[in-house]
Amino acid sequence: MTQLVGSTIGELGKLLRAREVSARELLQAHQERIEEVDGRVKAFLRLTPELAAEQAGRADQALKAGDAGPLTGIPVAVKDVLCVRGVETTAGSQILRGFKPPYTGTAMARLFDQGMVMLGVTNCDEFAMGSSTENSGYFPTHNPWALDRVPGGSSGGSAAAVAAGEAVISLGTDTGGSIRQPAALCGVVGMKPTYGRVSRYGLIAFASSLDQIGPFARSVDDAALTLAAMAGHDPLDATSSDRAGHDVLSSYGGEVKGMRLGVPREYYEVEGIEPGVKAAIERALQVLRAAGAELVDVSLPHTDYGLAAYYIIAPAECSSNLARFDGVRYGMSEEDSANVTEAYSKTRRRGFGTEVRRRIMLGTYALSSGYYDAYYLKAQKVRTLIKGDFDQAFKKCDAIVSATSPTVAFPIGSRTQDPLSMYLCDVLTLGGNLAGLPGISVPCGTSEGLPVGLQVLAPQWGENVALRVARAYETASGLNAEVAPVG
Amino acid sequence: MLARIGLEPGDEEFYAEQLSGILAHIDRLQEVDTDAIPPTAQVVEVANRLREDEPRPGLGQVEALANAPAAVDGSFRVPSIQEEA
Repeated sequence: MTQLVGSTIGELGKLLRAREVSARELLQAHQERIEEVDGRVKAFLRLTPELAAEQAGRADQALKAGDAGPLTGIPVAVKDVLCVRGVETTAGSQILRGFKPPYTGTAMARLFDQGMVMLGVTNCDEFAMGSSTENSGYFPTHNPWALDRVPGGSSGGSAAAVAAGEAVISLGTDTGGSIRQPAALCGVVGMKPTYGRVSRYGLIAFASSLDQIGPFARSVDDAALTLAAMAGHDPLDATSSDRAGHDVLSSYGGEVKGMRLGVPREYYEVEGIEPGVKAAIERALQVLRAAGAELVDVSLPHTDYGLAAYYIIAPAECSSNLARFDGVRYGMSEEDSANVTEAYSKTRRRGFGTEVRRRIMLGTYALSSGYYDAYYLKAQKVRTLIKGDFDQAFKKCDAIVSATSPTVAFPIGSRTQDPLSMYLCDVLTLGGNLAGLPGISVPCGTSEGLPVGLQVLAPQWGENVALRVARAYETASGLNAEVAPVG
Repeated sequence: MLARIGLEPGDEEFYAEQLSGILAHIDRLQEVDTDAIPPTAQVVEVANRLREDEPRPGLGQVEALANAPAAVDGSFRVPSIQEEA
């Protein structure tokens, strides 16, 4: 019989629809797994057993009535930046401690309508700013494959929850790599959709022109199913696209035979790329070639400027978005202040952590008069060039393949003193955000015994292309996202 | 000042060193010739969208105030905004 923990949606869906297992039993199996391992992994900030029981009950009714979809009864974990009505949501920050959203974000509402069952809220870097989940205002999360190492970030709790078998699916957000990088470091599948594919309504904003919600999963099929259920236009997010919809699933089931896969040399020579990671990617390229793909050299000449442009644009948008946290309408408040400006300053001093304060300073500086042209405007122009690099590359290839992260999971505490070294974790992923591209990371073996991820980037709205390459690799390599034993 | 993040003694030195390193990296942008390049603020083709101006239910007063650290008489309570005369 299929294991209830560590299986895919497809496998579990068969059991559920055959009534061999109930949604309640599937929920209980995952709650027991969380009980068993989360004291060591610390993927969850809080659990939602009452909501889960109610949703599982409804899923069982739908299954009994023969009214179930592919996601009915599947347990899902939700990153702490995604609002669910009545469930404490804090963006990993002390400043939002106690905040219970009065509404549910569109992506989550769509999954709940499909019968998914929410296990709880996962840990992340504060306001999704970070690449290790060490910037959480609560506690760090541990990589299930090596507990002294980071799970990546910012969606590290969501990645670790799937890797440790605590959830079948989890949701993350990706602003510079915050889904793909932790997916790579934890050995699971993670997908960032095209900007505008999934509504951002109910996502606590970090950088609004870059943020997207996406799934973590144990297989490419599971990621596609979850994304398809979340995708589509939403009148509550003016940047969600009319064209978005279930076509993410169409025609991705094929093979890579005859496809041209771009190998951008700059991505294979980035600062700090580990030889073991490079070797794993080279092996993955051979698998894709053997499966019939044609590998073509492409160039992304402005790669060296991506990080710099990103660290102007993202902090600029964050400094504006985070102005709303003033201790008046929600969250923590320093009421014992002489006047309102002192109250703002004291609240934000106590509520925001080091990295968030650093980015607010950087963003405020980049937007200030006198520096605007030299920093913010310049970065926006370089963004045009970076997008142009991808446009040119996609004239020669159908998709771009590279490592997701230049390194495997690093030891907890090893990069926190040097912010720039942390920022470099996202050097291969943030270009996809600046250009609005869909990207997926799939497990492609190990280096030093730790997971490595293969990134596939596709043209805007080409989720089906990225999924097709990722699935073909998954099939040809025989590599699947395994459940970490959590030793 | 506008960021209102309440810098305290020691903060300036701590951040100054790190931000200098980050800004030194960012300065490489100045190497790129962007004279003829337009800026990009958002990357998808969506243009401004308008919806019908129809009334619909919004957040009620009780719900809107439910998360407030301090509320009084159906309003958010804040410290005084004007100095006393």
